[in-house]
Amino acid sequence: MTVERLADWLANTNPGFFILAAALFVPFARSNIVRAILMVGGPAVALVALINADGLSLNLSTVQVMGLELILYRPDSLSFLFGLAFIIASALFGVYSLHRRDATQDATAMLYAGAAVSAVFVGDLVSLFIAWELTAVASVFQVLAPRSQESVRAAMRYLVFQVSSGMLVLAGVCMFVAATGQTQFALIAPSMTGLPVGVMDIEAPGAVLILAGFGIKAAFPMVHNWLQDAYPKTTETGAVVLSAFTTKLAVYALARYFAGLEWLIWIGAIMTVFPVFFAVIENDLRKVLAYSLNNQVGFMVCAVGIGTQLAVNGAAAHAFAHIMYKALLFMCMGALLYRTGTTKATELGGLHRTMPWTTLFCLIGAASISALPLFSGFVAKSMVMSASHADPALFVVWLMLLFASAGVLEHSGIKIPYFAFFGHDSGKRPQEAPFNMLMAMGVAAALCILIGVSPGWLYRFLPYEQVAREYLASDLWTAPHVLQQLQLLVFATLAFMLLQWRQLYPAEKPGVILDVEWLWRRGWPALVSALSGPSRRFGRWAGSQVDFVSGALVGLARQVFAADGWVSSKVSLSATAVCSLVILGAVLAISLFL
Amino acid sequence: MSDIEKPEAERDPPLGEAGEHPLSILLFSWMRGKMFLRVFVILLVIVGLASIGLEVWLAQKPVKDITSVPGFYAVFGFLAFGGAVLSGWPLGKLLRRREDYYETRSGEAGRDR
Repeated sequence: MTVERLADWLANTNPGFFILAAALFVPFARSNIVRAILMVGGPAVALVALINADGLSLNLSTVQVMGLELILYRPDSLSFLFGLAFIIASALFGVYSLHRRDATQDATAMLYAGAAVSAVFVGDLVSLFIAWELTAVASVFQVLAPRSQESVRAAMRYLVFQVSSGMLVLAGVCMFVAATGQTQFALIAPSMTGLPVGVMDIEAPGAVLILAGFGIKAAFPMVHNWLQDAYPKTTETGAVVLSAFTTKLAVYALARYFAGLEWLIWIGAIMTVFPVFFAVIENDLRKVLAYSLNNQVGFMVCAVGIGTQLAVNGAAAHAFAHIMYKALLFMCMGALLYRTGTTKATELGGLHRTMPWTTLFCLIGAASISALPLFSGFVAKSMVMSASHADPALFVVWLMLLFASAGVLEHSGIKIPYFAFFGHDSGKRPQEAPFNMLMAMGVAAALCILIGVSPGWLYRFLPYEQVAREYLASDLWTAPHVLQQLQLLVFATLAFMLLQWRQLYPAEKPGVILDVEWLWRRGWPALVSALSGPSRRFGRWAGSQVDFVSGALVGLARQVFAADGWVSSKVSLSATAVCSLVILGAVLAISLFL
Repeated sequence: MSDIEKPEAERDPPLGEAGEHPLSILLFSWMRGKMFLRVFVILLVIVGLASIGLEVWLAQKPVKDITSVPGFYAVFGFLAFGGAVLSGWPLGKLLRRREDYYETRSGEAGRDR
């Protein structure tokens, strides 16, 4: 009976809550074994709970708060895949971070992961906002973790963006609920073939604010720079956990509420293209990965905007695959940072000699993100490409995505492994990464290959399973499809070889690359300084005039009233006493009668 | 953290140098051969041309638009990659600043030292 009740409780509890609960105990774990159990056990219990969920598209757990019904657990086929990816990523992070003891970072990372998992399984806007804010607050500790002046400043900027996102969502939710009285996404609009996707009309009250809030977290163009600013300044483990959750949670939220919104097609397409140019000239390889993250999220946002069943499948599949290979690539760069103290391309090279496992895993991650057939990126991204190619009106968008695909090969497929592990020999001979890091990288790499070789199991979990099955049977492995992708990658690689041979590939150079963050780190202070210049000058002039006048008055008073001044030498003592009495009397009269 | 740097003069020959991980010798030492780059490029050209040839051979539908022309992806991939990389020259000159551009003592307040 007790076992049955326990199983029932597991099946009806939001899986994120188990990770949150584990996070609360992490700071008190004295031994490494207990910490390992909590860091991996929390996600493991969450996984068991998710697999045994008491049905899909049902409100499994609800609570009444101040007259509002909060849906704490409502899994469906969209949230299932995102939740599964988040849980796997949090377990990988747990293993990856076992080599060091930092209770604050570990506990907040688990809180962050738990909040993200909770967010995808809640069924109403208010609960989503609460989990959304918890991810913001918990994640900032990852940026703070290095405890350097640079990271603290980056964390403050990061926090401004994350809190702004939350405030916009809150304002939008308040307006929406006040106007419609509805918070549950399943009841906002008719579902697309039984699945509540794209439920919010952009013209509904507050919808634009909610979209803007989601957009900040998804790193839309012009508000993207918090990502490239913060992620490379974290510890070797911080970037791994950050790369998995924030932007993908935003993609989930966009799919849930705004799938099919045309704006997103163009926003996503722009997101895929512009990071390519920044990544080419960036020297810090973790920053290159941050731009690459922006580019990959662009594919998902674009697919969400297209909004067909194939496109939503593509967005979800790409999010899942991306969480795995991007975590893998960040783990490889984290291992380099841990062993060499840097991820600058100019200071790396030739590390494959002593870090062959890390090199191998990085190459698998690079092949996956480049969408090489038989790796995870191919089976996921091709759905997005097919969905955009299917609509002749989106030809320009499709071309942008194709360009971005070649760009991905450049910055993540070639640049990252080449400059870190091959390229010029830096002379560094660090040890191979610690065993726990290798284990986490190995599992992530195995998943990348497994998804690529046998995509059927991933497709089974996609939001529209039937559409995914049809795509797998009739499109994915067709000869033209595979050959075209192979051509794209092979000839792009040949272009790399040619450019290297002719010494036309821009050499890596130290320095920072100006991006839109310049506006708030340099431009805005400079503008404020320029605009306040005239008033500052007037203030200085007015101050000098006041100083002159008051100085003159003080001098005059000294001349008149000093011990050897005009009054003492010219006026008799009796006259002074009479004057004093008159003044005193006047003061008394005023105070008595007024 | 262990960070072992060897001075230039003390470095061992590239193939199977002392202290090199056995897996590295197994997986990557062949890449250091003099002919590697040439063989790799020839292989890429063969695979690339074979994929175009296969595409032509397998093509059953008439050419509807530019994307269904055999070799379109090859040309696009080559040009897109080359364009993206070559754009790095002017962009680097335009956008690259010294390492401490933002993090100077007063840089955060928008003033130069």
